[in-house]
Amino acid sequence: MSGKERLSRGTAASLGTASRRGAIEIDRVSIIFGRGAKEFIAVDRVSASIAAGEFVCLLGPSGCGKSTVMNAVAGFEHPSEGRITLDGATVTGPGADRGMVFQQPTLFPWKTIRANVAHGPRMLGKSKAEAMEIADGLLEMVGLAAFADNHPHTLSGGMQQRTAIARALANTPSVLLMDEPFGALDAQTRSMMQESLLQIWADVKPTVIFVTHDIDEAIFLADRILVMSASPGRFISEIPVDLPRPRDAEMTLEPAFMEIKRRCAGLIRTETLKAFEQQSAALRARK
Amino acid sequence: MAMATATGGPGLSGRAGARRMANRLALALSLPLFFGLWELVSRSGVVNAILFPPPSKVVAALLAWAESGDLAIDFAMSVSRVLVGFFAGAIAGIAIGVATGRYEFVSNLLTPVFQLLRPIPPIAFVPIVILWFGLSELGKYFLVFYGVFFTVWIAAHLGVQRVDEKLVRAARTLGTPEHRMMQEVLLPGALPYIFVGLRTSVGISFYTLVAAELAGTFAGLAYRIDISMQNLQMAQMMGGLVMLGLISAVADKAFSSFARRAVWWS
Ligand SMILES: Nc1ncnc2c1ncn2[C@@H]1O[C@H](COP(=O)(O)OP(=O)(O)O)[C@@H](O)[C@H]1O
Ligand SMILES: [Mg+2]
Repeated sequence: MSGKERLSRGTAASLGTASRRGAIEIDRVSIIFGRGAKEFIAVDRVSASIAAGEFVCLLGPSGCGKSTVMNAVAGFEHPSEGRITLDGATVTGPGADRGMVFQQPTLFPWKTIRANVAHGPRMLGKSKAEAMEIADGLLEMVGLAAFADNHPHTLSGGMQQRTAIARALANTPSVLLMDEPFGALDAQTRSMMQESLLQIWADVKPTVIFVTHDIDEAIFLADRILVMSASPGRFISEIPVDLPRPRDAEMTLEPAFMEIKRRCAGLIRTETLKAFEQQSAALRARK
Repeated sequence: MAMATATGGPGLSGRAGARRMANRLALALSLPLFFGLWELVSRSGVVNAILFPPPSKVVAALLAWAESGDLAIDFAMSVSRVLVGFFAGAIAGIAIGVATGRYEFVSNLLTPVFQLLRPIPPIAFVPIVILWFGLSELGKYFLVFYGVFFTVWIAAHLGVQRVDEKLVRAARTLGTPEHRMMQEVLLPGALPYIFVGLRTSVGISFYTLVAAELAGTFAGLAYRIDISMQNLQMAQMMGGLVMLGLISAVADKAFSSFARRAVWWS
């Protein structure tokens, strides 16, 4: 990947001060939508401790509540029960300390790529020149320096997502929240994006929570995988991924990767079955 | 012939070429045929030449109008009424539309009133405007303003509401404070819709101009049309129609090319 050569150590070093911050506690969080008869438990008493600088993947079938958990960490949803803290402080709303990348690129279509990345620093009161400098450094890092003056619609989906990552990093957030950011990309581009994300993470070292429903993607990226089950959304299992870093696409063909994948799939199957049986038992008991 | 069609040989491309040529010819002949036919019919005596003067007489009337100096004055008066009314209506419509689109309180306060007033055609206000403003320019501005305001207001209102919530969320995670959200995200996001409303309003402002000038004034293109009708100067009257059509079309073209550049991303 060309991103490897383009990686600017200078920029990364200047951004690397976030490494001590970014510890997240999710403490028995439930999120309930609707009221009365329409009440729907989207997330049911999930708990997790995520260390500063850790890369955690949230893995689960679609509709199981992954985005809801992410939105709660981002501060867009408020837990009906429980509490989320970032470095000890309760999360009450969105903030520049948590950058977010969505599945669809949410770039401002009227701004250039550079102005998109510079937006965050501008909002935090940086001068135009400073913000542009930060943006240029990040665009260099994600390999888009040549496209700084382009507008989003002239870029491919992968390039737009790279821009979105650069933009989310511009405020040196301690946490990077990524909600299926590569879900809409083709397999080739996705694998390239995964590699460059790991390089960026290794340099900048924010805490990353990465949502996916793809086992391979989760294993390739994560230090640890939190597996979610559907209705109600629960963390059913936790799988540490002790594969060496740096990782590259070749690694997915190695026996060690396969072994983890086999273990993962087995675990998910049994846990899903167990959850299913528990639910059926609970339903039978209620009758 | 059948051979040529089957093989897609020169016969086919020849025929396609001929068709293209005929199509272009039709386009080139459209206006000359129209005016030529008009001239012929009008001179043939089939119709009353006084009520239905030929284009040549209309052109002569236009030239006389220009030479007298009245055309410049009429033109300036009409254009200034459209400009003042349009810009006042557009600015007020955008400002209030983004506010009602974003803040439920403002919307609840104003939307029922606007929905009540909006369907009333501006022309229906002419009598009341005469009572309120007399024959002053203010009354003309008001009528054009009225026609433009509601169209732009509803476009801005809906535009702000249709801005992708994800863009707003992204902006918030980037530290955009609430008081800058309007300027940074909502207004630019609504701009494509606002421009659709503005373009519709260009046409509307010319309709209301006619109503405003018929209500009583001393100069203006529609006023000139009205006066020449009273004097049975049909050529002059048609010249007025041509001028009105012309500037309205130029305004629309100019605006749409400006809009394409201003909201090029949509
Ligand atoms: N605002 C909401 N109101 C009601 N139900 C919601 C809302 N947001 C999500 N849900 C429901 O919560 C469940 C989990 O959704 P989501 O977190 O988006 O799942 P995932 O991201 O894992 O696909 C789904 O059944 C969804 O329909
Ligand atoms: Mg989701």
